[in-house]
Amino acid sequence: MIEKIVWSNFFVQLVAFLILFLLLQRYAFKPLFGIMEKRRQMVQEQMEGAQKNRTEADQYIEEQKQALQQARKDAFEIVEQAKTMGSRQADEIVKAAQSESTRLKETAIRDIEAEKNKAIAELKAQVSGLSVLIASKIIEKQVDEQSQKQLVDQYLSKVGNKS
Amino acid sequence: MKGVKSNSMDHLAPIIKIFGIEFDLSAIIMVVITSVVVFILARLAVRNLSVENPGKLQNFMEWVVEFVSSIIGMATDYKRGRIYLGLGLALIMYIFVSNMLGLPFSIVTEQHGDALPTVFGQELIIKGVPPEHLAWAWWKSPTADMAMSMALALTVIGLSHIQGLRHNRKHYLKHYFQPWAFFFPINLIETIAKPLTLGLRLYGNIYAGEVMIGIILGMGWIGLPALLVWQGFSIFVGAIQAFVFTMLTMVYIGQASIHEEGH
Repeated sequence: MIEKIVWSNFFVQLVAFLILFLLLQRYAFKPLFGIMEKRRQMVQEQMEGAQKNRTEADQYIEEQKQALQQARKDAFEIVEQAKTMGSRQADEIVKAAQSESTRLKETAIRDIEAEKNKAIAELKAQVSGLSVLIASKIIEKQVDEQSQKQLVDQYLSKVGNKS
Repeated sequence: MKGVKSNSMDHLAPIIKIFGIEFDLSAIIMVVITSVVVFILARLAVRNLSVENPGKLQNFMEWVVEFVSSIIGMATDYKRGRIYLGLGLALIMYIFVSNMLGLPFSIVTEQHGDALPTVFGQELIIKGVPPEHLAWAWWKSPTADMAMSMALALTVIGLSHIQGLRHNRKHYLKHYFQPWAFFFPINLIETIAKPLTLGLRLYGNIYAGEVMIGIILGMGWIGLPALLVWQGFSIFVGAIQAFVFTMLTMVYIGQASIHEEGH
């Protein structure tokens, strides 16, 4: 067996493999490893990007939630405000109407009073005139018209004060 | 059975003598062919390198890289062993292609007349006892030659010792006297046995496979199913041996040069 070994084969193989190894390392493995490293970095970057996007999305959702909450609160406040303003306006209107009616009533009462006084005064004048006339007719010549009128007036004013 | 033997098993290696040195022409041819095949394969794979859209060959090559990375990861610490990734790749590709090349066919020339055939004006010489029927095999796996397998084994074992001395001197030297000083001879035997087993395992497996193919071919037509089965098995063995060789390379380099804490 041993005597059949060709010893030069050993060195042929050694040199050939070393040359092949160096060539492969230089022209095949180096670019390949570079590309694989680049891909690894790319994947990592993309994963980081995805992570960042997710955090951002979460943040946006949170912001949207808060904005929605704020909008709800605002809307509620506006409705409340409108409600209170409406009731206040209604109150004002009712009050105004009430005061107006009171004023009208008072005016009417004053008018009525004035009319009544005017009517009474007129009646007084007429009654005094008439009674003088009647009295002068009844007791003609007994009393002169001047003193008679004075007497009746005196009497009537007493009556008027009592009424 | 005698015919079978002379037909297939006793093929001579075409050896010529130049300046007193014997050269095995078939070995040189096959080494060159294997190297060229491996290099072209690797170059094709990295021809259109792309980060985002790798081609089929690039994908395959990257799979091989991942595979060798996992071998390194299994054998030793990947972070410190990754500088040997290129070596592992070259080894596994070269040995696998070597193992496969010898399988599909063989080229045999036979002697006509009394004169020995000549190449470059040099007579082919016959080592040992010449058989009755002279035939030369020109095509074989480079790994089916003991000297060539041993060359690969000694290369990586030598590398492991060099790297052990360079990067891990204290532990590397100490391990010869572990666990006690008088274990030194045993450790020495182990050191010598490592390249022997590494190289001879590869040589034995591949050489036996090729011998077996020769024997089956000698059986004629009857041997065709057996030939198919054995060829398939040889592909399996060739792949396994490439893997084992690379794995053991990484284990030995790792043991010698990378000191693991608590180991």
